[in-house]
Amino acid sequence: MSDRSPRARGIRRAAAAAAAGALAVTLAACSGASGGAGGGAAPAGEKTYSVGVTTYFLSHFLPGKAVGSNVDYAIYTPLTKVDTATGKAVNAVAESIESEDNKVWTIKIKKGWTFHNGEPVTAQSFADSWNATAYGPNAYTNNYMFANFKGYVDLNPAEGKPKAETLSGVEVTGTDTLKVTLDKPLALLPYVLAQSAFAPVPKAALTGADAFDRKPIGNGPYQMEGEGIVTGATKVSLKRFAGYAGTPGNAERIEVKSYQDEGAAYRDLQAGNIDVTLVSGNNLTSASTQFKDRLVQAPFPALMYLGFPLWDERFSDVRVRQAFSHAVDRQAIVKSLLRGFGRPATGLAGTTVPGGGADECSACTYDPAKARTLLAEAGGWKGPLKLWTYQDPLNTVILEAIGNQLRANLGIEAVTTQAQPVDQLYPNMTAKKIDGPVLLYMGAGYPHLYALADQLFTKGSAANVTGYADEEFASLMAEAAGAGPDEAVGLTRRATGHALGGLPLAPLFWPVGGLPHSAEVGGVKPEFLGGVALSAVTVG
Amino acid sequence: MGGYIVRRLLMAVPVLFGTTFIIYVAVYALPGDPVQALAGPNQVVSPSLAQAMRERYHLDEPLLIRYGLYLRGLLGGDLGVSFSGRPVSEIIAASWPVTLQLGLTAWLFTAVIGVPLGTLAGVRRGRAADMLVLAGTTFLMGVPFFVVAYVAQIVLGVNLGWLPVSGTEAGWPLAYVLPGLVLALYGLPQVARLTRTSVLDNLGADHVDTAIAKGLPRRTVVLWHVVRNSLVPVVSLLGVSLGYLLSGTVLIEGIFNLPGLGYQIFVAVPQHDGPVVVGVGTLLVIVFLLVNLMVDLLYGILDPRIRLD
Repeated sequence: MSDRSPRARGIRRAAAAAAAGALAVTLAACSGASGGAGGGAAPAGEKTYSVGVTTYFLSHFLPGKAVGSNVDYAIYTPLTKVDTATGKAVNAVAESIESEDNKVWTIKIKKGWTFHNGEPVTAQSFADSWNATAYGPNAYTNNYMFANFKGYVDLNPAEGKPKAETLSGVEVTGTDTLKVTLDKPLALLPYVLAQSAFAPVPKAALTGADAFDRKPIGNGPYQMEGEGIVTGATKVSLKRFAGYAGTPGNAERIEVKSYQDEGAAYRDLQAGNIDVTLVSGNNLTSASTQFKDRLVQAPFPALMYLGFPLWDERFSDVRVRQAFSHAVDRQAIVKSLLRGFGRPATGLAGTTVPGGGADECSACTYDPAKARTLLAEAGGWKGPLKLWTYQDPLNTVILEAIGNQLRANLGIEAVTTQAQPVDQLYPNMTAKKIDGPVLLYMGAGYPHLYALADQLFTKGSAANVTGYADEEFASLMAEAAGAGPDEAVGLTRRATGHALGGLPLAPLFWPVGGLPHSAEVGGVKPEFLGGVALSAVTVG
Repeated sequence: MGGYIVRRLLMAVPVLFGTTFIIYVAVYALPGDPVQALAGPNQVVSPSLAQAMRERYHLDEPLLIRYGLYLRGLLGGDLGVSFSGRPVSEIIAASWPVTLQLGLTAWLFTAVIGVPLGTLAGVRRGRAADMLVLAGTTFLMGVPFFVVAYVAQIVLGVNLGWLPVSGTEAGWPLAYVLPGLVLALYGLPQVARLTRTSVLDNLGADHVDTAIAKGLPRRTVVLWHVVRNSLVPVVSLLGVSLGYLLSGTVLIEGIFNLPGLGYQIFVAVPQHDGPVVVGVGTLLVIVFLLVNLMVDLLYGILDPRIRLD
């Protein structure tokens, strides 16, 4: 109050100002009531819709850092894509992908594809993108995906400076041809190449990676408008790319709104402010009653499992592990806790994952009597039992249920549970400091059973937290990797069956999410990771 | 008064260093591996990525050296770079307007609703209005903050559709009414009750009796002799509550999806994103210190008996 007039007047003035402020707020609230929630301000007649995603989906767009979200696949079209109906990898930008030995691959690229800035997509565009990601000092999060490419070690030495800047296993042999050499055969390379991490980049990405990360220039059906991802903004706008060489999207414009969590996005959908979003967990219960036929199931390419600490001698007998697996009533948990959104696992991967859906797990049935017998044969259980998981509301509830079932079905008295943050739990498992079964979630790195089996059971894999190591499994997997794509499925299933025979982990559920949507949009179907496939959505 | 302000600002310097150090240590002493936290549960961190991250953010240096490096940057005006690669200064620049608008809206609600309610309760002591205010504020203090937030969001935003559910697209004031109101409910009971107590004290004061004896209208007596004198402790509480409001924004901005400073902390803590937490946290401390200074200055204006020199 700089006013030097008598204080009484000053205070009166302040009171009047406060009253006016309150009045303004009230009026604004009323105008909000009459104006309704309202959508975006799109020009009349333009086909447009809005989608809600979590902030994680909009965190990075450089292929080396991209998280593989549905927005990534609207902006980029990689060499291949996985046909959700047949589970096969089909060519997108690739004309052909061929190999004699599954180790040296010749990739031909279709002509006529361009980036959003008009630059043609060439073999070099792919090589540039891959080399940047594989180059260790760049610290791109998708770096590990190139570990099987020849020359990766030179770019990522254990000590000291890298010896090279480009992968020796990626050679540009012509404008439209690439020669890719792997360290070990991998028949499923076409599936690997379907990920946004393997998308091409134009020259602009090489000179200004940070700017490109926020405003990408891709070769996909939609291009990013305006400034791209501006710090602090919660919305980006995608515009249909007129020069797209593949099947164009239906909507002319897509508003992508980001939310800090799924629940916030779902509440905005309920209020009619967005048209579609991905929900899971507790929000699915509400969505299934409110949206009914406008709720599309979105199976996740993932597995929830109970991993056993194989280093703990109490779990060294396979019959103990089998007893634990038989004692869990998966059906009851899916029905009561997951509200039907999830399927009891009968093997490693669900039907939506290519190669998945087979009954490889004989110990995955609910059989309390058999469980008790097996445990008794193995010498019974002595002492307390601790169950672990990472901090997540749904996980905690599921783990409690599992604890109760083990208590009731196996007669183990002292069952306790503990949840740790992810970044503590994983290092603790690596250090073998976990003294009980762990409830975990694992998504397939790329759309194939082989990926999941490789991540969970191969010795040395970062996701192999049980410490499983088996030579027969390794040789079956190597055989699968060297075989043709069709035989690979059978061999991978044999390898998986062998691993699950030893039961280092008990598969529990294949989680399912949901895509509730407004009446204004149709054609809603999930992308591989569960988010709505943006270019497939139809408006009106 | 000028000398007083300078003195207070100088005193703020060690406080500032102390708080940044505490926040810094708290963030980096958290158990768990920041590189793994950054990657998330389903991501593989290649050894070369982990090494590059550790080098870039000095994660393998001892804590004190890292703090020293941070301070050196800070004094040179460099707040550091977040783990996701955005400069912290840019994050703060983009977020503070949101938090300021939210905090002020909530503060306005607290003052405009809390003070009249408390005055009413005090003047009508022991009658229905007093009881109602007492019951209402007790209820509000008993219900957890986030429950109020979710209920308000679902009832007023989703079911009735009166106000935007989340986000800042509707702009001020519309987008801030609902979160501001919820945030205000946090400090409102205290403000109302303190006003009531203070009004009761003043109603029995000699100068009020004198004013009544002089035959002044009751309204004038209440407004200019009771309420004004009752405001001194209330202003102090309002000032302190602005600080609490700012800390409350962490939760409210998370729930209402407002991309402010609190939201940044909400996102950064689970990721162990130290540069963001320390940068934003320090800023909140500075605001808190400045608000307290302003409150102390206001005392002198409201009550001439208080001397600041």
